[in-house]
Amino acid sequence: MQKVMAYERGLEKYNPLKTVVTYDDFDRGFNGWMDLTPNFVNDDYRHHPSEVDLASWAPTMLSAAPMRFAATHGSMEGTYSLKLNTKPVANRYEEKPANGSMGCALKRLSNFDPNLRYVQMETWYAYTPQQDRLGFGEEDLRAFGFYFDLQDTEYRWMPGVRYVNSVNGKLTKKWQYWKVAEGVTKKDWCYGREDGWQRPGIDNLWYGRRFPDGSADAFQWVPDGDQDLLYNESPDKINWLYLRLLVDYQRREYVELQSMDRTFDLRGLTPTLSDPYKSITNLINPIFFVETDTNRSVNLFLDSVVYSTE
Amino acid sequence: MLTFATSVIERRLTIEAAHTTHPYEVGWAGEAVFFVQVEGTHPALSVQAQISPDGLHWVDRGTPTTVAADDEIVALELANFGGWLRLAITGATSEQPARVLVHLALKG
Repeated sequence: MQKVMAYERGLEKYNPLKTVVTYDDFDRGFNGWMDLTPNFVNDDYRHHPSEVDLASWAPTMLSAAPMRFAATHGSMEGTYSLKLNTKPVANRYEEKPANGSMGCALKRLSNFDPNLRYVQMETWYAYTPQQDRLGFGEEDLRAFGFYFDLQDTEYRWMPGVRYVNSVNGKLTKKWQYWKVAEGVTKKDWCYGREDGWQRPGIDNLWYGRRFPDGSADAFQWVPDGDQDLLYNESPDKINWLYLRLLVDYQRREYVELQSMDRTFDLRGLTPTLSDPYKSITNLINPIFFVETDTNRSVNLFLDSVVYSTE
Repeated sequence: MLTFATSVIERRLTIEAAHTTHPYEVGWAGEAVFFVQVEGTHPALSVQAQISPDGLHWVDRGTPTTVAADDEIVALELANFGGWLRLAITGATSEQPARVLVHLALKG
């Protein structure tokens, strides 16, 4: 049998690896992307006790990007994007994240390739705060990013990137990659708790100490990782930007991060390798997130997402 | 085939005063049903749907629904609601709080 492959034209703006596993255009619905929630498996369907309320993040939605004065933006191609957003609440950067101060969306996949070498995530996205007050608004979005939650036959690991846009109202605009600093203890990681299920290297998004310069136990600065991302001149204007993260699954290393027209070489950098968890070998969960820096709801719009492997 | 999605808007939130739910974009949907569940002992609550042009300014839509003290769940149906939806829930106090679980089912 001779196969003829014809890709959808929308893929033209992407650079996928050999196998496009999922191409999610949010004009066609949620495509399996959903809110990140804890496990409701205890008495009365309670989740495990945690120092951070993992059930409080703002709900993800399909958005036409309607703005207060500029009207509807639609998406990069079409009408709808996947909108991650936050509730209008934040703690200072060096404190643990306030309940509701993040938005997280994930898709729950698994590995099917015994020789899997690379995993890659790409998206076209935009970001802006809600236009609920006067001003430019750029400094009110703390961070956004992407990570894979992976478990292979030996380790659970979470390679990811985080754009630190603003720290306590001060524009920072630098990339970090996910890796726990040396010597971080479980007590450091879990806001003083030594018991519990949390382990350093798991759920970096809300664990570990954070410091007023934007550094944190959970994230390390990307070398030469300053980047002045395009934020338009008002909260009611958005532009669509490109992001790509390539990870070497076999070597358990980062390969490269492309953001707009820049590619950061991450070869040789590694995420934290943790002991495996029960029953989740071959887990591949791509996850996007956004964080607010003040008492203001902020938005991350994803026009579309491509997950590819090789 | 229609697109359908259920979102959990409030996940067992304890309220002790008047509360409005997180603004939710619904422009893609033609019909919406809010389900409000109240867990445990609670006072009678009034639940009012609201719509908005921008997610910032809100106006009541339809008539309010009452959750009696011995009710566990109510549903509010909506159509022709524009681009944003939320609920205004009143009746809870610090002396008589209520724990609410709110789903929004959308189809379009």
